[in-house]
Amino acid sequence: MDRSGDPMKGPPADRRGSISFSRPLGDHCVHMGIELEGLSSKAIPGQFFLIRERGVLDPLLGRPLALVASEGNVLEFLFRVSGRGTARLATLPPGAALELRGPCGNGFPEPVRNELVLVAGTLGIAPFIGIPSFCSERVRITAVLGVPGKGWEPFVEWCSERFTGIRINSDDGSIGRHGDPVEDTLLIVGQRHEVWGCGPEAMLRGLGRVHEKGCDRLLVSLEKRMACGTGGCLGCSIRTGSGSKRVCVDGPVFEWRQVFGGSHEI
Amino acid sequence: MKSSLRTEVGGVSLETPVIVASGVWPMDPRLWPAGSIEGVGAVCSKGMTLEPREGNRGLRIVETYSGVLNSIGLQNPGVEHFIAEELPLLDNSGRPVIVNVAFETLEDLGKMLERLKSFRSMVVAVEMNVSCPNVSRGGMSWGVHLESLGSAVSMAREVWEGPLWVKLSPQAPSIGEFARASQEGGAQAVVVGNTWLGMAIDNDLERPFFENVFAGLSGPAILPLALRAVWEAAGAVDIPVIGCGGIARPGDALSMILAGASAVEVGTALFIDSGLPASICRELEANLTKKGLASVRELVGRARNYQGEIGERLR
Ligand SMILES: Cc1cc2nc3c(=O)[nH]c(=O)nc-3n(C[C@H](O)[C@H](O)[C@H](O)COP(=O)(O)OP(=O)(O)OC[C@H]3O[C@@H](n4cnc5c(N)ncnc54)[C@H](O)[C@@H]3O)c2cc1C
Ligand SMILES: Cc1cc2nc3c(=O)[nH]c(=O)nc-3n(C[C@H](O)[C@H](O)[C@H](O)COP(=O)(O)O)c2cc1C
Ligand code: FES
Repeated sequence: MDRSGDPMKGPPADRRGSISFSRPLGDHCVHMGIELEGLSSKAIPGQFFLIRERGVLDPLLGRPLALVASEGNVLEFLFRVSGRGTARLATLPPGAALELRGPCGNGFPEPVRNELVLVAGTLGIAPFIGIPSFCSERVRITAVLGVPGKGWEPFVEWCSERFTGIRINSDDGSIGRHGDPVEDTLLIVGQRHEVWGCGPEAMLRGLGRVHEKGCDRLLVSLEKRMACGTGGCLGCSIRTGSGSKRVCVDGPVFEWRQVFGGSHEI
Repeated sequence: MKSSLRTEVGGVSLETPVIVASGVWPMDPRLWPAGSIEGVGAVCSKGMTLEPREGNRGLRIVETYSGVLNSIGLQNPGVEHFIAEELPLLDNSGRPVIVNVAFETLEDLGKMLERLKSFRSMVVAVEMNVSCPNVSRGGMSWGVHLESLGSAVSMAREVWEGPLWVKLSPQAPSIGEFARASQEGGAQAVVVGNTWLGMAIDNDLERPFFENVFAGLSGPAILPLALRAVWEAAGAVDIPVIGCGGIARPGDALSMILAGASAVEVGTALFIDSGLPASICRELEANLTKKGLASVRELVGRARNYQGEIGERLR
């Protein structure tokens, strides 16, 4: 999984782009297409880009967003509107000039099993959107999503169009099952399964507590604050069972055990 | 790069006056974004310590208005690992390597420089990071106490025979005095400067964001402060001053040079623009052409020649 030393992977590049479309999905999220200038960019699911408004020094840093899909020169992203940077991005009209650094990080590998369960907390679904077209057809995919509830209907609908049979869970019980996605996986995961998770740290920890021994391989995609995205600033360092790792180049995808398995704090 | 940008600073020959600052860029050049080497005159290593350091816990990066607070805590693998694994990689980049050293005791500093001596061919200069606490003075940073700074620089001068630079702390009570003390201790250049101490509070949790409470501010937010510090240092010493802090656009580097910097270091801006060194070089070349000058050396300190009442008062 650790491909930081793999010269084949290559470093990210700084690219210019412009917004080709920007569609709100309810009050909380935006689905955005960004057209790159020049050559298209080869990336795999789980890799991400640091995205910022071109020429603007405040907000300063690129926001790490997982690649959702790419079609020719257009890269697609899905993001939650939370702080200054994403709020600003959400208001930009089509044509607005952006800068992107990427693709960053290792991305997901080929699944080793034919049964793959993807567990996402809200926007944790983003890096999974591209998985069905990335995996070979032999792999049967079940997506399990958790959302707060009311107001998230358009987002849930959007996700449902991308994963047939997606299992929806909401905290308030207003959409799908009342409960959290980790609980929901108890009913479906067994030894034949491979489980990948992306979402809040508490959810990822919980995922391991219930499945670490019960499934074949458990991978998680982590979120950490980032500045450089290319392994230089050590802002995204985590402590793992195998020493210090940088989420931006050694991850964001890690074996659950490596990150949460030991007694170390991450 | 055009020969007009070639310069010599503090005992080091540089193809361009643009240096990658310490702690922002990967030590493995294979991770450098495409094109980011263009225009780079030299690269500083991450701050090295004698022994490995895990760095700080908790949040390490918090964005501020046009800036970044960082509390990395000098995470590094220690000088032995650096020499064995990282120095050869950096050396392979084809750019001169400046080793940034941090230390809590004079003994550590001496041992580190002793080790680096055997690799003199790969190290064009040592840059002393004096922002670390001096253990023998109850953790007060070397860079804010004149005697501590003087003793560290003199001891480094005795051990290290190659070019020696001192990267001043903006927390120093007087930049000019501390620059002079570095010169007197035997430094061949001063870098002005490191990050500016700041903090941020998480209003929801009602606590400082960082475990260490304070953190270092960098990025465009600090440019005016750094520029003033460069101006002061350049007025106080004869050795070259290297401007560092907040350079985010080509014109910022030019301002540093006009204020008296012989070269510049860029840090935080590389987080958002890996092509900055190349665009700084283009800007400097264009500026030389416009003014009919042959070398970037002729630009150094030109704003100090400003004639006028305000200029007179400020000089
Ligand atoms: C590898 C990776 C992939 C991600 N993919 C997605 C995605 O596809 N969709 C999505 O909605 N979100 C994703 N995130 C989270 C997203 O990066 C943050 O929500 C976003 O950076 C917050 O920025 P802001 O301007 O809203 O918040 P602000 O509060 O203005 O952010 C301030 C600073 O903190 C950083 N920051 C704040 N929260 C986070 C966080 N949770 N993770 C990382 N940095 C943070 C910001 O990047 C910025 O530097 C991903 C994070 C990582 C690390
Ligand atoms: C993430 C980060 C890590 C840094 N690490 C070091 C370091 O190890 N040693 C050092 O002397 N300076 C370090 N610095 C300071 C920079 O080299 C530079 O002096 C400072 O950031 C101001 O310049 P800038 O505004 O161009 O970034 C670090 C800065 C940042 C942002
Ligand atoms: S974001 Fe800089 S090392 Fe990961």
